[in-house]
Amino acid sequence: MKPIITVENLSKTFQVRKHHQGTLSVLRNFFTRDSRVIHAVDNVSFSVNKGEVVGYLGPNGAGKSTTIKMLTGLLVPSGGTLNVNGFVPWKERQRYVSSIGAVFGQRTTLWWDLPVIESLHLLQYIYKVPEATFKQNLKEFERVLELNEFITSPVRSLSLGQRMRADLCAALLHTPALLFLDEPTIGLDVIAKERIRQFIKHVNDVRETTVLLTTHDLSDVQKLCGRILIIDQGKLLFDGALDTLQNRFGGKWQLVVDFAESYPNVEVIGAEVVRLEGIRVTYAFDRSKLSVSDLISRISALYNIRDISVQEPEIETTIRNIYEGKLLESPL
Amino acid sequence: MQHILGSYFRLLGAQVRSQLQYRASFILDVFSTAFFTITEFGALALVFTRFETIGGWTLAEVAFLYGLVELSFGLMDMFFAGFDPTFFGENIRKGSFDQLLLRPVPVIWQVLGSDLTLRRIGYVFLGLTIFVFAVHFSGLEWTLAKVVYLPFVIVGMVLFFGGLFMIGSSFTFWTVESVEAMNILTFGGSFLISYPMSIYQDWLRRIFTFVVPAIFLNYYPALYFLDKPDPFDFPFIAHFLAPVAGGIVFALALAFWKFGLGHYQSTGN
Amino acid sequence: MKVFWEITKLSFQRQLSYRAATVAGLITNIFFGLLRASVLVALYNNREVVEGLSVQDIITYTGLTQAVIVYLSIFGSYDLMRSIHQGEIAGDLLKPLSLFTFWLAQDFGRAIAGFLLRGLSIMTIYALVFDITYPTSLAQWLALIVTLVLSWLISFAYRFLVNLSAFWSPDARGIGRFAFIIVMFFSGFLMPLRFFPDWVQTLAYFTPFPHMLNTVVEIYLGAVTGMELVKALLAQVAWAVALVIVCQLTLRLGTKRLVILGG
Repeated sequence: MKPIITVENLSKTFQVRKHHQGTLSVLRNFFTRDSRVIHAVDNVSFSVNKGEVVGYLGPNGAGKSTTIKMLTGLLVPSGGTLNVNGFVPWKERQRYVSSIGAVFGQRTTLWWDLPVIESLHLLQYIYKVPEATFKQNLKEFERVLELNEFITSPVRSLSLGQRMRADLCAALLHTPALLFLDEPTIGLDVIAKERIRQFIKHVNDVRETTVLLTTHDLSDVQKLCGRILIIDQGKLLFDGALDTLQNRFGGKWQLVVDFAESYPNVEVIGAEVVRLEGIRVTYAFDRSKLSVSDLISRISALYNIRDISVQEPEIETTIRNIYEGKLLESPL
Repeated sequence: MQHILGSYFRLLGAQVRSQLQYRASFILDVFSTAFFTITEFGALALVFTRFETIGGWTLAEVAFLYGLVELSFGLMDMFFAGFDPTFFGENIRKGSFDQLLLRPVPVIWQVLGSDLTLRRIGYVFLGLTIFVFAVHFSGLEWTLAKVVYLPFVIVGMVLFFGGLFMIGSSFTFWTVESVEAMNILTFGGSFLISYPMSIYQDWLRRIFTFVVPAIFLNYYPALYFLDKPDPFDFPFIAHFLAPVAGGIVFALALAFWKFGLGHYQSTGN
Repeated sequence: MKVFWEITKLSFQRQLSYRAATVAGLITNIFFGLLRASVLVALYNNREVVEGLSVQDIITYTGLTQAVIVYLSIFGSYDLMRSIHQGEIAGDLLKPLSLFTFWLAQDFGRAIAGFLLRGLSIMTIYALVFDITYPTSLAQWLALIVTLVLSWLISFAYRFLVNLSAFWSPDARGIGRFAFIIVMFFSGFLMPLRFFPDWVQTLAYFTPFPHMLNTVVEIYLGAVTGMELVKALLAQVAWAVALVIVCQLTLRLGTKRLVILGG
């Protein structure tokens, strides 16, 4: 089956003019052409199949929003090819945008002073959504997002969480095949975040909507994304499942052992003692070199174990390591 | 096309409903815009008691020019409010312009529908009042041709200044700092043509005849309406070029807008 | 006292950074000055003197009015009311400096910058392009400096007072618009007050506005001299004092209201 998003050798370069300071700066800036080239997106290739939920990660300035802008048709690429849902986004803008929905965490798509429902009616007309579809979608979203709380309130009076829910509803009203989300849970409390995630999952399950989501919240990634793409300095560093990421780039796993008694020396080969509190010892080890069961065997051969728990490395550490270039021997 | 117009009117409707929510503010604002015109024109009228004419034109005749510009500019300011460079530049700077590129309606119509500064209707009312006063006291003799031509003069000015607004907004695709410069042409230009062009020094008048065809927007039509002789001996058709002057500027504005939008999509924010 | 000058200096420096806006603003001023001069000269219609003002005087007048737009904030300012509406004022009220003094210092810095960048530059351009009138005696120059300072003070106090309406009304901006339109008319910005019918002039002198701008123009052009000039300066002092007192009283009422209503 043909992928719904195909990106091949996509590039975007910007020419940034060096800005001069000083009294005559206006004239100098006008006449000189000192500029440097920035490769915001550098030869990126990937494809996404219908129904996938893909997380798009990277430090700030990595090229995430530039990529999203090209995918949504806002920006024209400098090189490479791009095909989404059968369209070249920036070329066929008006026809293309009917098949996508987008939510940008920082800005609302709704009209500030109008009740949410009026914004939705307005969008219904703009996207030419048939009445039956509109009613059906609205009923479903009202249920899952609990919109009735605030659907008649003006957007300006909504809390951030409510506004996000309203924006999500607006983005999906016209039943788009793709949903682009830019930091959808930013600034929300834990309960609100969870509600948004549930909704995204629901939409993906029920409608097979393909979702591309940029986020700095790694819980979003863990709970939603079957696949993640990591971009930094314009280059694609990783493309695969979260597990693969952890296994190849993850930091050390930890084994917390409660011994039967307090031993003077709890050293064991293949693991490092990172914490020692009475009878509780925390070992750190490289799971690719030593399996959990092997390590337990080694420990129990030497000491009496009362209790054990295994801890995965924190995903934050993994990602941070990648951003800091620590675990980058072979990206893909 | 029906969908485009339908979207446009609904967008405008959303603006109207939004603005009318602040009813007290709105009424106050309408009165303040009206008050501004009364004050500005009032100062002129009071001074006329001492001077009686300007460049051979009476107060009523000047009122014809002034009222017509005020009325047209006010209409333009209301309907092209979305293209007001100050407002548009803000949208570009904040990034809220991108929103428009994500909707299946041509961007121009969305921008037109993005604001309708209702309170500027105060200018329209006052402009109309002053114009009516002018028509009454200047002894203007109506003919069928004049009645037919009048709306075209108004449209000419709306297109002209609307086009200037659009050009100013297009400039913000490159730099938001350019807004002030454009205001000179729009607000300066409308001030300029509110008085008989014959009072200006030759070099200034020539710029606004041959470089920026503002003289044809209001002055020449006024010569025709008020049956006044042409001091510059232009061909008779000069009296009827108002819609042409406006149309040319508007067409240039559309072309420049397209160019600017293309640039924006290539270089981003 | 030192704090006062610090604030003034900061405000002054901030104005200096708006370079591009200054250039565009200057061009706008020159353009409008030129247009208004054309209108007034055409009104003169070969008369040499009207109400004591020669053609040269009236051209100079158009330069002066453009030159003081920024210095006197002729079109008004809405910063303070915005600050009040957004609740930032609560923090300011806790500072050791009185709100009035704080904004006074800020406005002084802004005004000096405006005077130098826009005021002097416009008059210089006018001097190069036209034959303009200048004060003729040292006494006149001194009087000019005094009247300029008093003008600014009156202008500031009025603007401060208008902005204080924000303590009572959410529509302070609309009120402000009215309040500043009146200034344009009665200060002699739209037309020299001498050109208005007598009854309008009488009405004008019941307000502080002529003392904001018209007095400066008349002293500069030498239209008032001797005893008349002294009286004009005294009138400015009186209005300045009166307005400052009203500002202080209103500020007290306003802050009391704020405290009671909880911002």
